Amino acid sequence: MSLLEVRDLVAGYGSGPSILKGVNLTVESGQVQCIIGPNGAGKSTLLKTIVGLLTPREGKIIFKGQEIQRLRPDQVLQEGICLVPQERALFPNMTVRENLRMGGYMLRDRRLMEQRIEAIFDRFPMLRERSHQKAGTLSGGQQQMLTMGRTLVLKPAVVMLDEPSLGLAPIIVERIFDIVRLFAESGLTVILVEQNARKGLEFSDWGCVLDLGKTMFDGPADSILSDSRIQELYLGKSKPTPAPETQA
Amino acid sequence: MSELIQILLLGLALGGVFALMASGLTLVFGVMRIVNLAHPIFIIMAAFISYWAFTLYQIDPLLTIPVNMVVMFFVGIAVYKTVLARGVDKPGYVTITVLITFAVALTLDGLLGYFFSNNQRVASPAYATEAIFIGSFFIPKAQFYAAMVSLGLIGLVWAFLKFTRVGYAIRATTQNRSAAQLLGVNVGQISTFTFGLGIALAGASGALMSFLFSFFPAKHWEWIAILMSLIVLGGMGSLLGAVVGAFLLAVVSAYVSSFFGPTWSPITFYLALFLILLIRPEGLFGEKQEAL
Repeated sequence: MSLLEVRDLVAGYGSGPSILKGVNLTVESGQVQCIIGPNGAGKSTLLKTIVGLLTPREGKIIFKGQEIQRLRPDQVLQEGICLVPQERALFPNMTVRENLRMGGYMLRDRRLMEQRIEAIFDRFPMLRERSHQKAGTLSGGQQQMLTMGRTLVLKPAVVMLDEPSLGLAPIIVERIFDIVRLFAESGLTVILVEQNARKGLEFSDWGCVLDLGKTMFDGPADSILSDSRIQELYLGKSKPTPAPETQA
Repeated sequence: MSELIQILLLGLALGGVFALMASGLTLVFGVMRIVNLAHPIFIIMAAFISYWAFTLYQIDPLLTIPVNMVVMFFVGIAVYKTVLARGVDKPGYVTITVLITFAVALTLDGLLGYFFSNNQRVASPAYATEAIFIGSFFIPKAQFYAAMVSLGLIGLVWAFLKFTRVGYAIRATTQNRSAAQLLGVNVGQISTFTFGLGIALAGASGALMSFLFSFFPAKHWEWIAILMSLIVLGGMGSLLGAVVGAFLLAVVSAYVSSFFGPTWSPITFYLALFLILLIRPEGLFGEKQEAL
């Protein structure tokens, strides 16, 4: 049995048209799965629907054998699926440490929470130095590091990352991917949406191509990378152009 | 010079009470973006509880604070659940809440006026006519006690927000609602609780109002402008802002009142509201708000 299974999912915003028009996805435990596809394909919508921010119009989301498509976000998190959204998800007027504590909001065991925060500080000394600083004063890259590091306080079974490297300088992007690697090494199952499709796939065990609200292809990441048709349509024939320079 | 200090003392004592009145309003706005125009009528409702407790049973208004808070907490939750909880995530919610809370204010104003009449009332415990002397300066005991109780309660609220799990959730929801939701905060529950807490603070304020200011149901209209100006100056949604705004404007109004006469004192608040919105709409400690 797969850890997470999405079947014929149809969803959209408010009374608007359906963005997802029958998405299928299978995620195995302990894998890194990359979802690629052009802008507007429904990648973010898929993640938001899985986590309960949107209620599906049709289809099922099955996690550990149970249907979860009717649950609230806090209940989905309780089940063990956490979304790190594309937009900054920090609390700007709370300190770095308080933001980490919010990451462990679902943990009833305060001692365990503080232990894990210490472990995160050991891994990211930059965060310890700034533990009393307000999160809003960190740079873009630091904020993203905090947002992702925060996930390790709860250690959910599945972490879904929505374009974690978006808008960050290349040197910071490398750090971000280090954290994704850390997630995988910690035994978390990772679902990664990445605009740099080639890099995302190189990083993953399994890949999935989403376009026009449907799953176009689903298979091992290396087979997607070597498929000439997918290369042409979604990866760009040649090596990817470097990401545009943006603020760190 | 000594007169200026005397006025400052009176202004500060008043500011403490204003701060408590405004704290519930700013808290509710922070978490839910509800501009609660009914806040002052809830204060007056609670003032009636304290007033009748004193008039009928000679119970000190200060002692009714806990009762008021519990009663008004549940009144708040009932009002929130019946008229405000729906449509929280819909666009235009903020605008709609102005109308809804306006309607709540009108309704309660009418009901209270019908049952208790619009006669001016004030509870007069013994300390209402006594004063504390510090050297050559004085503070009326009633104002002194009220300010101390207010600051104590605000301190408790601050500690609650700063150190408890629910407090973390409230602050997180204020700053980034969707992120709080993604970390497991049941924002619906937190919203309901915060509204109850805000109205409970109105309940505590009501106990103080019952012996500090003469009140009647329709008087809440005046208070709306005063309380709005305090939290707009401080920055809507900020507890610290509400406290600073309250002290600043209370002191200024005390000076205005003593130099130009008490009839001019209310204009301090209207003028301040006007100027702040022109010059620095986000207030002293507020975040810049996106256009609604």
